[in-house]
Amino acid sequence: MTATLHRPAATPTSRPTVPAWTIGAPRLLAGLDRNAVVDYTTHLQLHGPLHHTDRARLTDTVDQVGLRGRGGAGFPFAQKLRSLRTESRPVVVVNGSESEPASFKDRLLMRRAPHLVIDGALVVARAINAADAIITVHDAIAEQALRAALAQRSDAGPVRIERSTGPFAAGEVRALARFLSGGPALAPGRRVLPTEAGVNNAPTLAGNVETIAQVAVLTRLGVGRFRETGARTEPGTILLTIGGAVTRPGVVEIPIGTPLGIVLAAAGASDPQAVLIGGYHGSWLAPLPDITLSHDGLHSAGGTFGAGVVMLIGSHACALGEVARVTAWLAAQSAQQCGPCRFGLPALAADVQAIWSGAPHGVDAALRHARMVDGRGACAHPDGTARFVASALHLLQDETAAHLQHGGCGRPVVGVLPVPATTAAQA
Amino acid sequence: MKLDIDWTRCDGHGLCSAVLPDRIARDEWGFPIIAGGAVTDSELRAARRAVGICPALALRLSADPTHA
Repeated sequence: MTATLHRPAATPTSRPTVPAWTIGAPRLLAGLDRNAVVDYTTHLQLHGPLHHTDRARLTDTVDQVGLRGRGGAGFPFAQKLRSLRTESRPVVVVNGSESEPASFKDRLLMRRAPHLVIDGALVVARAINAADAIITVHDAIAEQALRAALAQRSDAGPVRIERSTGPFAAGEVRALARFLSGGPALAPGRRVLPTEAGVNNAPTLAGNVETIAQVAVLTRLGVGRFRETGARTEPGTILLTIGGAVTRPGVVEIPIGTPLGIVLAAAGASDPQAVLIGGYHGSWLAPLPDITLSHDGLHSAGGTFGAGVVMLIGSHACALGEVARVTAWLAAQSAQQCGPCRFGLPALAADVQAIWSGAPHGVDAALRHARMVDGRGACAHPDGTARFVASALHLLQDETAAHLQHGGCGRPVVGVLPVPATTAAQA
Repeated sequence: MKLDIDWTRCDGHGLCSAVLPDRIARDEWGFPIIAGGAVTDSELRAARRAVGICPALALRLSADPTHA
């Protein structure tokens, strides 16, 4: 083995620009082929005027197209609207944290199509009679773009931008609601839904940046036209962030239901051995071309859309080494709040490192620790990390056998998966 | 009724497991592992004791079986 395990890799944020391209007609990414940033005039030319609606009609509309959250959990947006407590005035939170290191789609939308995000926030805020619509961002460039966009229009009264920071789990919506209430960006111990008690205990309708932008597109197009693309049971488009062993990395808008093979061919993936779908809380899958990129299709294949990340590992790279690097990073991202995560994730990371080094019994120990941390925390960070490791070990059985027999697979760890140079989370 | 742990409070003292050994095991770091299913009537007394004895106030008995 010649490669080291912890070689720093370039993160998407360090690239000057992230390309955007589409399969089929663009909706969210409309105009980005000709504009670095879509300004308000161009935005209105592309999308037409904003269509406001009331709560009942908005709920019905998002229900009819089955709109699901695009931040990771894939929760039906109509269900959030329905469960919103109505006794006091609600708050809208547009979650632009995008703490997922391999994802860039939310930043791309905020940086280059900020008016679509603002539109969605306005439509939802008006429909539910919210006093505030807060767009939260970690990324400075996205923040600037949103502020510049707000200055271009006079109708964005309730919308404000909040800069937030923190580790991976700080982007989780209940941690975010606590941060916006003046507390630390940590998930609370009691599992109360934001729609019950979120920002300052007000009922809070939170949505990921892409989800909210989809609402802006949907209310303009209406159900019929929205359904003209995508799968019959899951209409519309979805954003992916594609990277790794591809010649055309970037943020890609696809019709939901597009086969993975078509996306991989368009991205210029050559001979991939493994694909990570969803992100660092997502699942490793064999890159089979007939996997349908829909919620149902990915569920059948053993994965989820997660945050829309599609990372390819080529056949000349050590996938296990990539898994070890990311697991170490995930362990360091624990907020140190909950014992099973605080102790279990470093143990899990050590197990994966041991498997990579060819130590015996590493796989058994890793699977045991993955089961042990799953579901035992205030947030989903241990669950997601367990899924990441368990799915990797399930897929990479030949590679783990090679590491056990020969002390390695003979391939370098090239640092395909971005690992930010952040240190451990502040407790 | 079911037993819920506030993981941000639990320090793994293990008193709950001592009071309810058939229901609550401990992992290798001492943190509780609660076997699934509703707390039975015959367990309820011990479960209430376990809740009361937790020095970190991390254990709760809740009626609502649904999780957020």
